[in-house]
Amino acid sequence: MRLVLPPFMAILFGLTASFGQNKQLLYDFYEIPQSLMVNPGVKTMERWHTGIPLISGLSFQAATSGVTVNDLFANDVIDFTTKVQERVLNVMSRRDDFSSTSQIEGFNVGFRGKNRPDDYYSFGMYGETDVIVYWPRDLAILAFEGNGGPNIGRSFDLGDLNVRGEMVNVFHFGINRKMSNTLTVGARAKLYSSVFQFQSINNTGSFVTTQGEDNIYRSAIVADMELQTAGVEGFVDVLEEDTSTTRKDLTSLFTERTLLGGNLGLGFDVGFSYNINPQTTITASILDMGFIYQSKDVKNYTLSGSAITEGITVFLPEDVNDLDNDLWQQLVDDIEESLPYEENDTGYISLRPVKAYGSIRYDFGQGESRNENCGCAINVVSASNQEFYRNSIGGQIFLIKRPRGIQPALTGFYQKRLGRAFSLKTTYTLDKYSLTNLGLGLNFQAGPVNFYILGDNLLGYQNIADSHYASLQFGFNIISWNDN
Amino acid sequence: MRRYLLHFVCASLFLSLSISCSEEQNFDQFDDLEVTPLLASSILYIESTEDFINTSSVSGAFYSQTVNFDAFNEQFVSERLLEGIIIYEVENTTSKSINFTVEFLDEADNVLDVETFSIDPAPSGVLTREVAYGPAGKSLDILTATSTLRVTGSNLSDTTSTSSEPEPKFIFKSGAEFLFQLK
Repeated sequence: MRLVLPPFMAILFGLTASFGQNKQLLYDFYEIPQSLMVNPGVKTMERWHTGIPLISGLSFQAATSGVTVNDLFANDVIDFTTKVQERVLNVMSRRDDFSSTSQIEGFNVGFRGKNRPDDYYSFGMYGETDVIVYWPRDLAILAFEGNGGPNIGRSFDLGDLNVRGEMVNVFHFGINRKMSNTLTVGARAKLYSSVFQFQSINNTGSFVTTQGEDNIYRSAIVADMELQTAGVEGFVDVLEEDTSTTRKDLTSLFTERTLLGGNLGLGFDVGFSYNINPQTTITASILDMGFIYQSKDVKNYTLSGSAITEGITVFLPEDVNDLDNDLWQQLVDDIEESLPYEENDTGYISLRPVKAYGSIRYDFGQGESRNENCGCAINVVSASNQEFYRNSIGGQIFLIKRPRGIQPALTGFYQKRLGRAFSLKTTYTLDKYSLTNLGLGLNFQAGPVNFYILGDNLLGYQNIADSHYASLQFGFNIISWNDN
Repeated sequence: MRRYLLHFVCASLFLSLSISCSEEQNFDQFDDLEVTPLLASSILYIESTEDFINTSSVSGAFYSQTVNFDAFNEQFVSERLLEGIIIYEVENTTSKSINFTVEFLDEADNVLDVETFSIDPAPSGVLTREVAYGPAGKSLDILTATSTLRVTGSNLSDTTSTSSEPEPKFIFKSGAEFLFQLK
């Protein structure tokens, strides 16, 4: 088990870090307690709930807006270099990205206030890994094709390098309050404990080789680039030591960082649900408005300046007395002086990727009364309370702040409730990763045990290697309904 | 009816998620990736006025310099060098016949190769020469072993005449375009 756990955790925390973060299936799926995590103002019906530790909420998403695994690694007879040239270099733009996100709930508990039954409190802890790498188009072309031949005169944009990633443990506490029969609001405070973070997101500069003014070629570079890291060096140092205690040291460092021993930050979520009429509800939420102050184990790398060269130049008679034969090294030194590469340990603030959801839902198909064990004592509106409707249809919007701007997604959904025991939600989502994203979510309640599973982009499962987007969430909870 | 629907949905989801399939992938293909950029850079530029050339003795060198040049013998570069060309452009608007040589020397100052340019007085135009290295040209070993360039400019004419050209000069340009195997 000890051998299995580290790779398993690496997969959970690492590979899953490239998903699009949109949880359109979970959003407003209020039968699932974890829907509070994407809208603290969602309608709550439970008396209390507790997630089964470590398996109450697991989500993994991976996305690519450009090339897929199958595009490159399908076992065909096409030369691999040709595939890279035709399917990556010639096609992908600087706005294409590879992204991944994962979340693992450590624990998640919620309960209704004794004195204020309109309030539902929830708290917990979850780990999240999030990585996004934009395709560094110009740098890739420079590496593959070089600056010579047809690329003489082409300006390579150094700002194409744009990457951000982090692993963070989040402690949270939220309050969900029913303000009236039509309005529920909620807020959640978050304390972030960073395991590591890195970002290189504000790079500018260019590199160009042209016909020279004096000599044959003239190369000019202007750069203002920085890679900021926090928490990375500590892990690298442990790995480089490579002693018999390396695994133990890694575990110890990881545990320390997750339990508030690393860089800390604050954030909050807000949200609401509002019934425009008994059958129509609008909701919205904003998540992860927060920051982490990265001050420990910081190492930043900078390349800033400008340089122009046309090789070694000698002008006679001016340079006739310059008898130093180390002109090449002098040239290299001059360039390095004009374009210094430096390291520093200056702290910095990293912003969390802010997310926003909004939705409108229309309920229809009135079903039988659900007064029994349904939480209606809390959320009762009238005899036509929306909880009595079997069906819902609506639309959602999702926005996330990415290093290169706000990334939107639009979702249409249909939800079916078959009593309290079972409900399902289907979605169709449009975003930069896929135009054919069909999702399906199931929520099953067997007595107090709740199980949910939400799968996205189901058509992609026909050939998962050719999918631009894959997402899976599932979890187990124990739920107690209001017993009055 | 409800039971059938439940079974249907569960089966659909289970099939989608659990019995998902994938075409056969071959990740070993990555080993076949070839990254071979063509890199271009200037090497050496020398410019001399006619007045300076006139200061040299008859048939004597008006300029001779040994320049440390490790661009190609750095291990990272020499191991990845595939082929390429060195481009020379020589222009003479002076009234002199000029002989200009570039010698490629190794660390022990042994001459590995020599490029010689003899250019007539103006108007003689621009002499352009492209020297290939690699499978279709000279041995790459010349470059990878080169540690120093010795350049010598000699005046083969008198030391008093002056050209009628405006700002008469001797100009030597050189640059390179080489293909590297990064992977």
